[in-house]
Amino acid sequence: MGVILALLVATFLLLPIVIVIPMSFSTAISFEFPPPGYSLRYYAKFFTSEEWLEPALNSFVIALGASALTMLLVVPAAFGYVRYRFRGKALVNLLMMAPLVVPHVVSALAYYGFLARARLTGTHLGVIVAHGVLAVPVAFLVISATLKGFDRNLERAAMSAGAGPLRTFFHVTLPVLRPGMLVGALFAFLSSFNEAVVVIFIGGRGASTLPKKMYESIRLESDPVIAVVSTLLVSAVVLGVLASAFLRRRPANAA
Amino acid sequence: MAGGLSPAAALATGVSPRAARRGSPAVWLLLGPPSLVLTLLFMLPIGLVLVTSVTDPRLSLAHYQRIFTVPLYTHVMLNTFVTSLIVTALCLVLGYPVACVMARRSDWVSTLLLTIVAMSFWTGFLVRTYAWLVILGSKGPVVAMYQALGVGGPAPRLLFTSFASTLGMTHILLPYMIFALFAVMKKIEPDHLKAAASLGARPRAAFTEVFLPLSLPGVVNGSLLVFVTCLGFFVTPILLGTPRDMMISQLINQQIEELLAWGFASAVAVILLLATGVILAVYNRFAGLDRLWG
Repeated sequence: MGVILALLVATFLLLPIVIVIPMSFSTAISFEFPPPGYSLRYYAKFFTSEEWLEPALNSFVIALGASALTMLLVVPAAFGYVRYRFRGKALVNLLMMAPLVVPHVVSALAYYGFLARARLTGTHLGVIVAHGVLAVPVAFLVISATLKGFDRNLERAAMSAGAGPLRTFFHVTLPVLRPGMLVGALFAFLSSFNEAVVVIFIGGRGASTLPKKMYESIRLESDPVIAVVSTLLVSAVVLGVLASAFLRRRPANAA
Repeated sequence: MAGGLSPAAALATGVSPRAARRGSPAVWLLLGPPSLVLTLLFMLPIGLVLVTSVTDPRLSLAHYQRIFTVPLYTHVMLNTFVTSLIVTALCLVLGYPVACVMARRSDWVSTLLLTIVAMSFWTGFLVRTYAWLVILGSKGPVVAMYQALGVGGPAPRLLFTSFASTLGMTHILLPYMIFALFAVMKKIEPDHLKAAASLGARPRAAFTEVFLPLSLPGVVNGSLLVFVTCLGFFVTPILLGTPRDMMISQLINQQIEELLAWGFASAVAVILLLATGVILAVYNRFAGLDRLWG
């Protein structure tokens, strides 16, 4: 009984994925389901139109830049936070988590006003800064959790065997922490790639990403190419989730 | 690795136990720059919103007064609150059985559910909102089924109603609820339930007397997460909902996009920020915020 209920809810969760894929092969000129016929014309349109390829490229560039900025901020902060006792620790924690506590629409308005003053709305740099900062909490959680689980005896052993601090860091500390760092960076990347609110406010024409383009496309023109984009994104998610489930099954890869 | 140098510097003083002492300069080397950047590039912009809300166009509290006295705006506040409550309740009712099955079984059903929830979780808001646009649209499957049944009359309008926006938000936030519940439920010892059974409790009693109370922290975490996110939800209410039943984020968007009313939009944002802050502070007082994302 409980199982059937759970499977029903799971079907409800799966509905959009099921609907989006056939829509992408449709011949209809608007949102129509079931599709009146099937073709690849909107795939052709997506892969040839500057209007969609540019936001797609922007999404990758911005997410890469943002995750680099996030790591630059989070890695030293997590080391300091986890390994030292100091006054104002709770305050630092609050500062690191603040972007998660503030609703995104408030952050969006704040960045809109702030970046407009700095003439950075509609630029890659502006969106990278906002996305990089907004991904700090999730990366900080992941990386400080990894650091807390790190056995400091490994470092002590390396040091007592004669390795200097730099050598110890690059040959012992970093390799052990690498999986956690990669997960933190991946989360930061995905957080930027999927972010829709802040970029709608500050992206302008110059730094439109896929979520922003989809939002505008739905609001203004109901362009069926959106089904193609959705299908590509859903396929990436499905592959990613299946790959991670597969990796988790093999104990050798348990990180 | 761009952040490599500073951790290395930390290590220079950080490996020996005495490094954990207070006020070591390395800690400020590590935490100083990130804290400064977050202050300048996050706290400052948020602070500017606060300032704008009382200075644009002139120094006054008039915007706040309008929010709480003009019926249009009090309706928006109330509607946001009620919608968030409904979405939270729906997520809880739908999510509880899923999390329960995921936590208590360890067979293919549990793996399948976990995979589906994770897929849903990682699929972007825009993709899922678009899917609901198709499902509920006038050329969508629901309307087609309605017409096929031949009940007669024109099919009811589904899209651009608060029903559509509530459904969309529930769908999007459900995975968050399930993960919050699952995190707590998977830590409940199956032995507790066996003990209850061996003491003569029937499965139903073992559930309501043992499992349900132990899962309550998950219920609180999930509900809080969903409710707070819903208060400030942006994309879905705008694309699926109606301006007649606006939520706070729609109001902010409208004030900026159509009226360029920075002062008023900022005041609305401050109210939203305060409401969120108060709720999280209360939670922090009783449970500790770290547990919410931990």
